[in-house]
Amino acid sequence: MNLFGVLDINSSALTAERERAEVVASNLANVETTSTPGGGPYKKQLVVFGTEQPGQGKFALTLSRFGDLHARGVKVERVVEDSAPPIRRYEPGHPDADADGYVSFPDINPVEEMVNLMGASQAYQLNVSAVQATKAMISETIQILS
Amino acid sequence: MNWIETPTMERVEHYLDLVTFRHELISSNLANVDTPGYRTQDIDFESEIRRAEQRLQSAPGSPHVQEVKGLIERPDGNNVSLERETMALAQVQLQYRAGVELLRNEIHIVQSAINEGK
Repeated sequence: MNLFGVLDINSSALTAERERAEVVASNLANVETTSTPGGGPYKKQLVVFGTEQPGQGKFALTLSRFGDLHARGVKVERVVEDSAPPIRRYEPGHPDADADGYVSFPDINPVEEMVNLMGASQAYQLNVSAVQATKAMISETIQILS
Repeated sequence: MNWIETPTMERVEHYLDLVTFRHELISSNLANVDTPGYRTQDIDFESEIRRAEQRLQSAPGSPHVQEVKGLIERPDGNNVSLERETMALAQVQLQYRAGVELLRNEIHIVQSAINEGK
């Protein structure tokens, strides 16, 4: 892998962290959603990250100096629904209330979500600075020619 | 080596290769800062550069990648330390620039020989 391959690694992280931020945004937006197309209240979504082997046959790999690859990108392996039971609140007038007058609300803690969002945004920034470092290194190399 | 390539150029080339390799590993560590179970990877730069120096004539082998010991592990099994990686990133960047500067200087010397010192 060469420096262009390093850009691929960090851009995979940018994509993954953005997806994580999107899921958090969806959780925050639906903190009071009591009915969904699938029935029942909204369920909190969680992203699961996994490592990703850089794609074979890419241009960056063709220029590789060392054969085997250790550097790994990251991807969103799957998005899972939280299994926590909904919170039941007594609101008899609510259209989604059950026979006893209880409404099921999603069990989402906004503070927890905000912390998750901060984590995603920090990791995003971190990878942006890594991309900037790689870019600076590439342009230094190009300047040898001038 | 051919007539236009000085021994220093070859050394610097190996050095830049190693620095780039380390940069790849650091980028991988930074990309996987939130991946459960990911372990910080790095190379022992000094011993790798010594190894490259010993085998200047032969083709370069892959550097020996190892897990970094002594880092605090989070409950999800990930042990990437932001401080360590950002410092290493800054270090690698400066090392790379030093290598490129050396190379440029070397090319300048050859160039001046071609121009008969003019």
